[in-house]
Amino acid sequence: MATDLRISNISKIYPGCIANDNVSLQFKSGKIYALLGENGAGKSTLVKILSGVISPDNGEVFLNEKNLKLSSPLDAKKNKIGMVFQHFNLFETLSVFENLSIDATEDNKSLRVRINEIFKKYNFSIDLDVPVLNLSAGQKQKVEIIRCLLRSPKVLIMDEPTSVLTEQETEELFISLKKFCDEGILIIYITHKLKEVLSLCDEVAVMRKGKVVSVSQTQNEKVETLANKMVGQKLAKIKKKINISKNKDEIFKVKHLNFYSDDPFETNLVNLNFSVKKGECLGIAGISGNGQNELFQILSGEIITPNTSIIFRNKEIAKLNPKQRREYLMAFSPEDRISQAAVPELKIYENVALNNFKSSNFFEKGLVNERKIKDHSKKILSDFSVNTDNVELKSQFLSGGNLQKLILGRELITAPELLICYNPTWGLDVGAINYIHETLIKINDQEKSTILISTDTEELLKLSDRIAVIYKGKLSKIMPSEEVTPEKLGVLMGGGSID
Amino acid sequence: MALYFFTPFIAIILTILGGGIIFYILGFNPIEALKFYFITPISNLYGFSELLLKATPLCLIAIGLSFCFKSNNWNIGAEGQLTFGAIVGGGVALLFYNQEGFYILPLVILAGAIGGMIFALIPAILKTYFNTNEILVSLMLVYVSKLLLDYLVVGPWSNPEGFNFPETRQFSDSSRMPLLFEGLRIHAGIFLALAAVMLSWFILYKTYLGFQIKVSGLSLKTAKYAGFKGKTMILVVFMISGACAGLAGVGEITGPIGQLHRMISPDYGFTAIIVAFLGRLNPFGIIFASLVVALTYLGAETAQIFLQIPKYTGQVFQGMILFFLLASDYLLFFKVKILSLKKNELRH
Repeated sequence: MATDLRISNISKIYPGCIANDNVSLQFKSGKIYALLGENGAGKSTLVKILSGVISPDNGEVFLNEKNLKLSSPLDAKKNKIGMVFQHFNLFETLSVFENLSIDATEDNKSLRVRINEIFKKYNFSIDLDVPVLNLSAGQKQKVEIIRCLLRSPKVLIMDEPTSVLTEQETEELFISLKKFCDEGILIIYITHKLKEVLSLCDEVAVMRKGKVVSVSQTQNEKVETLANKMVGQKLAKIKKKINISKNKDEIFKVKHLNFYSDDPFETNLVNLNFSVKKGECLGIAGISGNGQNELFQILSGEIITPNTSIIFRNKEIAKLNPKQRREYLMAFSPEDRISQAAVPELKIYENVALNNFKSSNFFEKGLVNERKIKDHSKKILSDFSVNTDNVELKSQFLSGGNLQKLILGRELITAPELLICYNPTWGLDVGAINYIHETLIKINDQEKSTILISTDTEELLKLSDRIAVIYKGKLSKIMPSEEVTPEKLGVLMGGGSID
Repeated sequence: MALYFFTPFIAIILTILGGGIIFYILGFNPIEALKFYFITPISNLYGFSELLLKATPLCLIAIGLSFCFKSNNWNIGAEGQLTFGAIVGGGVALLFYNQEGFYILPLVILAGAIGGMIFALIPAILKTYFNTNEILVSLMLVYVSKLLLDYLVVGPWSNPEGFNFPETRQFSDSSRMPLLFEGLRIHAGIFLALAAVMLSWFILYKTYLGFQIKVSGLSLKTAKYAGFKGKTMILVVFMISGACAGLAGVGEITGPIGQLHRMISPDYGFTAIIVAFLGRLNPFGIIFASLVVALTYLGAETAQIFLQIPKYTGQVFQGMILFFLLASDYLLFFKVKILSLKKNELRH
């Protein structure tokens, strides 16, 4: 029987952001649909609504013209909507079969028979009696898919399914998905990878900032056109004057940066080489999850990698930890404000003391010099216009923007020669964003350098002198930012190539 | 925040209520039984000194544990560190069994602290350099040290004139903690505990080490980002914790016991975990908590005498305190909502 899934006027508002703004879409079985968008475009929210994890503020979902009430994942299950999340929901220490039998309603014998039928039908082969932790990421995903198939779903939603798969596993997945589609299962494929959309899907809906901006047949699209739609064509209006000059000194130089991790949710970095000149802002663009986290931690010294050379102001610093790197006048502003850059339960002045450089004398002979820290904190609060002057306030009571100002202030008050920041304006309101952009431009004007790792293309185009794109742990060539357009960035970020 | 320090009191009240119910089920008058349990033991001076005597090791160990727990290191092998401290300290005391001298006791105490410290370093080093789980290692080492003590007191260290009883010689008077009052067992070890309280407060709130412990406990990611030397800190907190447990052990053998035998500690090292959490890992909270938990030991003994119930009810009470503490902590952040469920809304 044909399946027809219709989403009508769905809205979901979170404090400070509209995750889904009046989204309407229609899907019919027999096709594979792509839902494409940058991080934060609203794809995940929409999918969570479809799978009953969250309920929308407004709007309805119809399956074969029946209005669905999806108030829990159980409702989605009952209505034959299956979902495979990016992060697997499996019990690692239980066997494959135990994982599959947990919520089965039939006895083990007939379940085994049914699983074997599915194996035969789709050419799967997994040992049912090994613990899940021994499986590869691709096999784990198959277990999740089998779990959905056991309930003979009408709709199968795949959320970023290839992010942990190898090329080979991706190919196998695509073959299976096409088979499911031929059997009448409606497939919705969530991704930000343009090539996958073109090679797998029949129809593509693009989301941007919570809205559906286009629905089209994939055969009419190319990597470039999709990239355009995904990142939007709004060009940065305020652009700082380009600061580049060929004969300036290289202050920071990275050679042969490699990183290998066993964790499938981390990205390996492959031979990154780049340098930053005095007074320059090097932008590193990319969709999140392409290695930015790992890169930031290696640059800050939280991860030490062997055989990498990092030269800062003519000194080799690759083996130094963050505290030691700060002594050489580097500063770091991580993406995660509330669990890394600062601790919400600590008071403002305690958070300031986290950047404990030698000349600060915050801790003399191992003792806390509270007065010094507090005086220093007061100066940060006023210099960086944080809207409080109470250094005893717990940081959790600061808004995101004020917390970020505090963190930047803490990092910048040492007058560092190089600031490395990762998504400095993530989740902030326009006023705070402007303030932080101005601050970052000011640093460059003072002949200090910045490395800006960001997933916001607009921000990168506004602030960077040169831009490179990181994709799957590899860095593109570094381009002067006047040669870069949002479209070019979009193509590179989606794994395409230009020229 | 105020509630955070309030829940231990809720837990204590619930424990007393729970204890009353258990006594009622066992066929006792609950009020009377609870009186035997919580009031009779400390109704005279001797009882009160016994309370302080039991609270001393609990307080010392819990203070040490608070360093570990605050920084996200789960040392649950304090009982082993206590035992090993007692073995090393006791060994030194036995060396001097027939000698007198003012220097002997300090040597014994120091040896005990170092013994505990060394024993705590084992899980710490395995954790930092070999990535093992400190909970398992420190727990398993408890049995190692207890068996070692067993071997020593029945074998090489047993008293040659002791008719093969599993115990060592009596320590000389120079190895014994001075008693504070004639006729009471309370000894100078209590000053060690009080000094540990003051010192730990100073370290935790006034030093760079304390700051690092605090940050690491709240967010390991932040500690890494700030560039704290994580490995060194793990080693240091384990050493502090082990030294405190070792001191507690040596305080027991040089105080009320006066020799080494198999039963030098009624699981003080494990009970101190409850004390540390009941005291909210705060040095002064721990003083209070150690008194409360020490009372469960005394109460159990009185109840055994007057009510003829096994003294293991003390462990029941200790278990209940921890259970109610965890439960009230957990439920503290819950909103209770009463919903009317219609039948067709019930899900299988």
